[in-house]
Amino acid sequence: MAVSTVAASGAHDPDAVRARYEDVDQAYHEQRENRLLGFLLFLVSDVILFSMFIFAYCYLRNSVPNWPPIVEGGKQLPRFDVNFAAFNSVVLFGSGATMHFAMESWKHQNRTGWFRWLIATIVLGIGFLCGQAYEYNSLAISWAGSTMGAAFFTLTGMHGFHVFVGVVFLCVLGFQTRAGVYTDSKYFGLTAGTLYWHFVDVIWVALFFLFYLW
Amino acid sequence: MNAALIERGLALIGALVVGVTTSVQLRNDWKTTGIENTVTKLLLALMAFGCILVLLAVFGVLGGG
Repeated sequence: MAVSTVAASGAHDPDAVRARYEDVDQAYHEQRENRLLGFLLFLVSDVILFSMFIFAYCYLRNSVPNWPPIVEGGKQLPRFDVNFAAFNSVVLFGSGATMHFAMESWKHQNRTGWFRWLIATIVLGIGFLCGQAYEYNSLAISWAGSTMGAAFFTLTGMHGFHVFVGVVFLCVLGFQTRAGVYTDSKYFGLTAGTLYWHFVDVIWVALFFLFYLW
Repeated sequence: MNAALIERGLALIGALVVGVTTSVQLRNDWKTTGIENTVTKLLLALMAFGCILVLLAVFGVLGGG
């Protein structure tokens, strides 16, 4: 039964086999393009989400005469610590560079390099989150009580959540590659993970400027 | 040596290393085409811009660092 099925499908004819695989690759290629478009639309929707909060922050900031604002008792809130933020930013940007190297390693069939750079990215991502937790803990302001604190914790908290999701995403990709889910020519999940990680890096560029440098 | 100086020193070294690395990668990928590569190039360029912001912060040009 199995032999007749193989024979009927032309499995021993090299041209038929080639044609069938070309069909599969063509189908995968089309599916990949749709997935990529969908993923980019997701990133655009995230850009819109962050933009809304950033516009709200800019509005709040311009609606008071002094910044950092003066709270009850006539005390002006301190500026955020730019030195530590600069260091923590470099940690996150460094993770973007290592993720790029990881993807390049995969494209060049260097599996060892892929895993090494992926682990470096995950470690740097966790390092950034630890740095943010340390900063939250040492700040003199809180979520309640001032527009500055509310905007800061909302935006950086939302970004931190994205970084956390990204770390989980990268861990899942690591397990999937170890399980052989992706091949040399079919690795859309890795591309999506890389794009997502670069995206959270770039969002931080905007937040770093808005909260620490402006 | 105080903590702020160490943080600034590490940020300076990190920003230089990451900025140069990102710029080199961007130059290597410059001729690649397709939406995926274009988005990656855009994101790498913005990351390099982020490194420039960190350098400006370290030298006290922005943010009063």
